[in-house]
Amino acid sequence: MTLNRLLLRAASVSKIGSRSAFTAAKPDHTNPNWLRVGLAFGTSAFLWGLLFKQHSTDVHEYKVRNGLE
Amino acid sequence: MGLPDEAKALPPPGIINRNSVWLGVIGWCSAMLQNAINRRPPMKSGVHRQALLASIGWFIGYHVTKHENYTYARLDRDMNEYVRLHPENFSDKEKKTFAEIVEPFHPIR
Repeated sequence: MTLNRLLLRAASVSKIGSRSAFTAAKPDHTNPNWLRVGLAFGTSAFLWGLLFKQHSTDVHEYKVRNGLE
Repeated sequence: MGLPDEAKALPPPGIINRNSVWLGVIGWCSAMLQNAINRRPPMKSGVHRQALLASIGWFIGYHVTKHENYTYARLDRDMNEYVRLHPENFSDKEKKTFAEIVEPFHPIR
């Protein structure tokens, strides 16, 4: 809660904040860009899958090289 | 690019490891910072962004830990090999007990 409050205060101190370098329109936060949301979640899921796969490969490789399997 | 083959003989880091947690939290905080800069509710908005940046941080942290483990294992191996090849520099000094070092006590009262 206090973290939220600190970050909100940071937002209110700077009146300008940031703006896009490519578009002049104000971003519309009431209609989310579902494609981007889907891509972001999809990439996260992909990365987690990749991580678990890499980890299991590493564990198997370790066991094989040290004669445990 | 990447670690040499001998690094695969080391035990791999766990999914939860220090560098992953640290970089994951940094990714999450940078998403919240971006929300704050753009005057959006920091924790409640852009959850997809928070999840993506935290995942990227976690993933990079895992590979950083692997690299770190290999680096320290290599340094340890090289150091132990040097000690093994130069035993004359690493002999045990003769140990004295405190009884031999301490001077006799003459109280002046």
